[in-house]
Amino acid sequence: MKLLFHLAYKNLVGAGLRTWLNVGILSFVYIIIVFYNGFVDGLSRQGTRNSIEWEIGNGELLNNKYDPYNAFTLLDGHGILPADKEKNLVPVLIRQATIYPQGRMVSILIKGIETNQTILKIPTQLFTSSTAKIPALIGKQMAASTNLKAGDEIMLRWRDKNGTFDAANITIAGIFDTQVATIDIGQIWIPIKKLRQMTDLNQHTTLFIAVNDYVNENISGWNFKSQYDLLSNIRGLIRVEKVGDYIIYLLLLAIAMLAIFDTQVLSIFRRQREIGTYISLGMTRAQVAKLFTIEGCMYSLFATVIGAVFGTPLFIYFAHAGIGTPSMQGLAIPIANIVYPVYGVVAIVSTIVLVVVPATIVSFLPARKISQMNPVDALKGKVQ
Amino acid sequence: MKENIITIEHVTKRYPVGEGEFTALNDVNIQFRKGEFAGIVGPSGSGKTTLLNIIGSLDSPTEGKAVVMGKNISELNHKDSALLRNLHLGFIFQVYNLLPVYTVFENVEFALLLQNKTVTERKKAVMESLEWVGLGKMANKKPSKLSGGEGQRVAIARAMVKRPEIVLADEPTANLDSANAHAILKTMKTLNKELNTTFLFSTHDEKVMGYLERMVHLEDGKVKQDEIIEAKKTE
Repeated sequence: MKLLFHLAYKNLVGAGLRTWLNVGILSFVYIIIVFYNGFVDGLSRQGTRNSIEWEIGNGELLNNKYDPYNAFTLLDGHGILPADKEKNLVPVLIRQATIYPQGRMVSILIKGIETNQTILKIPTQLFTSSTAKIPALIGKQMAASTNLKAGDEIMLRWRDKNGTFDAANITIAGIFDTQVATIDIGQIWIPIKKLRQMTDLNQHTTLFIAVNDYVNENISGWNFKSQYDLLSNIRGLIRVEKVGDYIIYLLLLAIAMLAIFDTQVLSIFRRQREIGTYISLGMTRAQVAKLFTIEGCMYSLFATVIGAVFGTPLFIYFAHAGIGTPSMQGLAIPIANIVYPVYGVVAIVSTIVLVVVPATIVSFLPARKISQMNPVDALKGKVQ
Repeated sequence: MKENIITIEHVTKRYPVGEGEFTALNDVNIQFRKGEFAGIVGPSGSGKTTLLNIIGSLDSPTEGKAVVMGKNISELNHKDSALLRNLHLGFIFQVYNLLPVYTVFENVEFALLLQNKTVTERKKAVMESLEWVGLGKMANKKPSKLSGGEGQRVAIARAMVKRPEIVLADEPTANLDSANAHAILKTMKTLNKELNTTFLFSTHDEKVMGYLERMVHLEDGKVKQDEIIEAKKTE
């Protein structure tokens, strides 16, 4: 077998341009597949991390009457959790309200959160440093859409627990920069204590964010959703994204495999005398078929090396500089403006397998013909 | 009396042609002894190459028995047939059939690679073979850089490097000019004498015939005449 690898290597290197064209196509396929894989993995990892850091923490304990996907449940979707059960939980109260930026009327969600929480990256410490009567935090996208900036005052109108309208000016204490649209767009964060006072919903909470040490126990009227459950949307979107990518991979692979198959089929006809010579020198037909199969497989091995040489600096660059994703903003998935691809060993190894195995198979198919070849006809170049 | 190393008994070879069959060899009986410098001669289509291919275990008879180095060709499987070619037979073709991506050295070395010889053994044997044919200084050249005569001499070196008992040469001078043809034939004759290698030619070239010690005339697949050339035999 070592001899066959040696011969295959010599044949491929000796074949010059024919070899390097195939290797070039295959290494391009490698780079594209690894690049996309890295991009999607980076997207997934960043989306997951952003969601955990900005929105869901270690999971959420939701009031049974509250459905995050149904705005009508906001009115009654809150309750009081016994104090002894609140350990390692950060309460959030959510109410609907209206603001009036520059004369416009904008419906928003007003969210009350603990001032001293640290589980989410929302800079709630700014509440304490603010002297405003009702300090508020908003995200960058919200700020952009309402044309608000830190220090601005704006009228907020809400209804208390009895449905009575009330209004007051709130002061923007800070603007945070997050990629998690679900805590940014159309939302204003204020201290929960203040919101409870404003709505007369003392001790009421819509949902709790679990911190890392939280141990779930069944609490009547409340439903715990683990981090895994809450990330199912991201996983679903990544799955859909990956299906699209797999189709691209398959198309690219099909082109590359066609190139190898074509080369191998042509080789059977163009290199007939060579095949006959191998046999006359003492190689078995099976050995010659193996030699051609190894040659085909070796295209992908060469491509691995070439792909690594050209791809590695490219991958390192993108892993550090990131890839801008302006067209992907506004999706349900918390995607950063810049995605930093992640190139894992498993993804790279599986890509190599994904290329080497089909390359070997498509090389073996025409090589099988060699094992049925009459050496006399081969020497004369008469095989059809 | 030298031993028979090739025995052809009632060998017939038929090829399917369209609906019918073409008989390339028809009940051929012949023996060759070790160290012979013999030729199968005859016009095109007489069955020379077919007989040479059967002896070279590249083909097998439709009927009859071809025994080469004690092995019945018809009974050999692909592996044994390959082993016979690798260990005992050398081939020289009309169009040289050198492997284009290999150097002269590597072309000659090829058969030894299949025999799993060590690097030292291979190098020694290859250089010795190239010296026999006068191409010791061209070891690193590619076949595309060689003249026709040089290419055929590389083919001879490749056939001889493993010291086979039998060398089968199919029209070895057909693509060579007269001077090169004579040079090559002289080289082969010398190797035949020095190494006692059996040389078996398939040819209709008068120049080759001039060197042969025995000529088996084939016509329409049958042995018409088996001629020992006394003058050469007594040399």
